[in-house]
Amino acid sequence: MKGEAKAQGIGASVLRREDDRLLRGRGQFVGDIKLAGLKDVAFVRSPLAHARVHAVHVPEAERGRRIFAAADLDGVKPIVAITALAGFKVSEQPVLAVDKVRQVGELMAMCVADTRAQAEDLAAMVELDLEELPAVHDMVQALEPGAPLLHEHWGDNVFLESAMDVNIEAAFDAPVKITRTVRTARQSMAPMEGRGTVAVWDNRMEQLVLYTGSQMPHIVRNGIAECLGLQQRQVRVISPDVGGGFGYKGILLPEDVCLAWLAMRCGHPVRWLEDRREALTASANCREHYYNITAYADRDGRLRGIDCTAIVDSGAYSSYPFSACLEAAQVVSILPGPYDFPSYRCKTWSAATNKCPILPYRGVARTGVCYTMELMIDAIAREVGMEPYEVRLKNLVQPEQMPFDNITRKHFDSGDYPEALRRAMAAIDLPAIRARQQRGEPDGRLIGVGHSIYCEQAAHGTSVYAGWGIPMVPGHEQATVRVTPDGGLEIRVGVHSHGQGMETTLAQVANEILGIPVDRIKVVHGDTEYTPYSTGSWGSRCAVMAGGAVATASREIAKLVKGIGSHLLQAGGGDVDLVDGKVVTATGSVTIEEVAHTWYRRPQDLPAGIDPRGLETTIGFKPVRDSGTFSYAAHAVVVAVDPEAGDIELLNYVIVEDGGKLINPMVVDGQVYGGLAQGIGTALYEEMNYDSSGQPLASTLADYMLPGPTEVPAPAIDHMETLSPYTEFGVKGIGEGGAIAPPAAIGNAVNDALRPLGAELYQSPMTPRRVLEAIRAARQRAASPTVAEGA
Amino acid sequence: MSMTHIALTVNGSPVAGTVEPRTNLADFLRETHNLTGTHIGCEHGVCGACTLLIDGVPARSCITYAAACEGAAITTVEGLDNDEVATELRAAFTREHALQCGYCTPGMLASARDVVLRMDDPSEYDVRVAMSGNLCRCTGYVGIIRATMSVLQARRARGIGPLNGAGRE
Repeated sequence: MKGEAKAQGIGASVLRREDDRLLRGRGQFVGDIKLAGLKDVAFVRSPLAHARVHAVHVPEAERGRRIFAAADLDGVKPIVAITALAGFKVSEQPVLAVDKVRQVGELMAMCVADTRAQAEDLAAMVELDLEELPAVHDMVQALEPGAPLLHEHWGDNVFLESAMDVNIEAAFDAPVKITRTVRTARQSMAPMEGRGTVAVWDNRMEQLVLYTGSQMPHIVRNGIAECLGLQQRQVRVISPDVGGGFGYKGILLPEDVCLAWLAMRCGHPVRWLEDRREALTASANCREHYYNITAYADRDGRLRGIDCTAIVDSGAYSSYPFSACLEAAQVVSILPGPYDFPSYRCKTWSAATNKCPILPYRGVARTGVCYTMELMIDAIAREVGMEPYEVRLKNLVQPEQMPFDNITRKHFDSGDYPEALRRAMAAIDLPAIRARQQRGEPDGRLIGVGHSIYCEQAAHGTSVYAGWGIPMVPGHEQATVRVTPDGGLEIRVGVHSHGQGMETTLAQVANEILGIPVDRIKVVHGDTEYTPYSTGSWGSRCAVMAGGAVATASREIAKLVKGIGSHLLQAGGGDVDLVDGKVVTATGSVTIEEVAHTWYRRPQDLPAGIDPRGLETTIGFKPVRDSGTFSYAAHAVVVAVDPEAGDIELLNYVIVEDGGKLINPMVVDGQVYGGLAQGIGTALYEEMNYDSSGQPLASTLADYMLPGPTEVPAPAIDHMETLSPYTEFGVKGIGEGGAIAPPAAIGNAVNDALRPLGAELYQSPMTPRRVLEAIRAARQRAASPTVAEGA
Repeated sequence: MSMTHIALTVNGSPVAGTVEPRTNLADFLRETHNLTGTHIGCEHGVCGACTLLIDGVPARSCITYAAACEGAAITTVEGLDNDEVATELRAAFTREHALQCGYCTPGMLASARDVVLRMDDPSEYDVRVAMSGNLCRCTGYVGIIRATMSVLQARRARGIGPLNGAGRE
């Protein structure tokens, strides 16, 4: 027993150490940083989606002084994010536009003044001479012959084609064949804090210091050094408190490079803070997918095969470091989800369009894939006359198959997917819902029940990313852990915590091993100067990777502490234990404080042969297999659909989730709640539309609707804890999962509700307009049965 | 650009200065007075991150011009350190995990404090409606609503009724 200390280790809902400063408005976000002489930057941005740049007219008195165009940026390389995937076409994103602009909001000139308002006054003085070109505003249009070309030398608008075929012909004789077209809207990840950068040149350190709200400060450092031709020692990236990421802050922006360049020349700190219009329309969007999918099945609901073509709208440029292709290429490998079936074919295109680049958003391609696959499972169920959960149970990977390699060679580490689904169905009480549907509603609304299940590959490492060949490939994740002279602990990690609570949870990991109280442990992150290299926070990897690194390093520290403690206890370096923060033998004990005091303050008391590493170590961690942990969840939801207004209300929501061992259940629940809210936004509200000239149509939060307190129910969450066999403590990554399944579950519930009307929806968000259109189309089909289904 | 002289009270201290007519209250407080706890999320009055108290009433500081605040008493999150309700809310927000990244939090506290002071015996849905001017992207609102409800109910249980004339009418 570890007594009181045990309450702070793995599995304890320790309250967060980061809360107090944030609750008192004393956090430090990029916009809060004040440096003497700081000036503000505003950018002149392209008003057109696609145009040839004839001239950028800058008033002569300001050129090179307060206003800078591309010609002024000597020695700056464009941002290039390649992949190693065969056939990938490279885009070059100039940090300020040179001869062409390819998206609304593309940077054309940089203006610097005492305040942002004054910098915007300067921006208004710049005149643009642009020749508008036809725009590619839609990913399907992008692939048509004769479409305008973004990057002329490519010859088409395709960053990459990806394909896989596993014996698809064997499915063609299946008695059930269902084809649907599915679309998901372009979205903005919309963290409450936008991007922002403060840059200053430090003469004493001969170093550019870039404060930027980033999920991956070390990767930004790589990119800045590459674009500006600097040595790494000359670049320090600090990511302070960050107001939400969700993938949006996993990018090197042209603005970062521009400000770094400016700071090196102007002799004072400079700052750019993204406004909401820039965030929504210019920097990066995500998640716009198109699927044409055919499912083959037997009459008993057994899946025989899936045949799919898909397009992902990748925008104008390949973003650094994730590239334009991660999403579409992943669609090929993850579309089968948690199902085991024998035949599969999938081909995808990463389409270039005149829109801002895309980034992987919480769940990456999985949200769209889950939506598509799960709507198809329900369509099969309707066709064969079974309950959808029965079809799922027939096709899910079974627990006795674990570990399991699926049809695309994804390695499922552990889990009991059917059990998760059964628990969700029990919690939502399917028979009661069916009975309620029979009775009908007094208000005329239609009740529907839907569910979905997915798997989430998390913390996937070298073996996965080496194949992608993008600008970052995760290797061993390192942590530095050291005992301080007073017996406290410092942990240094290269990942970044921006809401995940790692200042608390990583301390819990160390507490589990060393017994040092959490409030005596400092977690340092977000500064390339003080932390080991890391690809950062993405892919639900931090609990597994950084947690694993802290555990590994803490075990080394335990050995070192025991070595010194053994000497102090005159145990001759022999058998001692570390319990509750004390080194103990059968006859005595010595505290970590005393061990630390001896190493740092009274080295004269140490024997000659003591381990010279002292009480500090840096060590790396990789799971036993680095192909990723597989967490998963079953979601079930009851909806009420108003067939007159098209409105959808969520009446009950249940989540059964398996994230392996939970380090801090309170924090995990928070991730699930937050993911669900974002998934509801994807399902019902959020949509970044463009008109046919490539103009973004949602540039405020009044147009781009985020779910508020009245739109998000409090779900019931049930945890299964199937340990991963490959990670420290059996932890699995779960940061993204909550956002993956909601559109699928809600979509199935809506289609279930609309079934009496013969209507089905296959496009998110499922807005009132789309609900009413689906109902209208069903009525027209019923009136003239010759009209083809699925129009 | 013409400048306007203003005199007002910020967190109990008199403040005077000249501002451009276009300067909003959030920028004035953040840039001129280093009160960076007031966060800017959208600058068009939708997200609620910049919510603070003007003469005791929650207001959007991003769409309030500083020049319009002559004589006003402004309270930012930094001014709520010793406020009784805010102190109870901070403990409840931590206990209920009502914040993750913390960016929306100062605005949430301003609105939640108003709910606790003003509403008598609201249902959970009433509280959700009352808080619907504040967006959070991290928490799904679960902890925020729980924390706000728990402080309100605890105060009512201690016999502290709603304050007439407090907050929004």
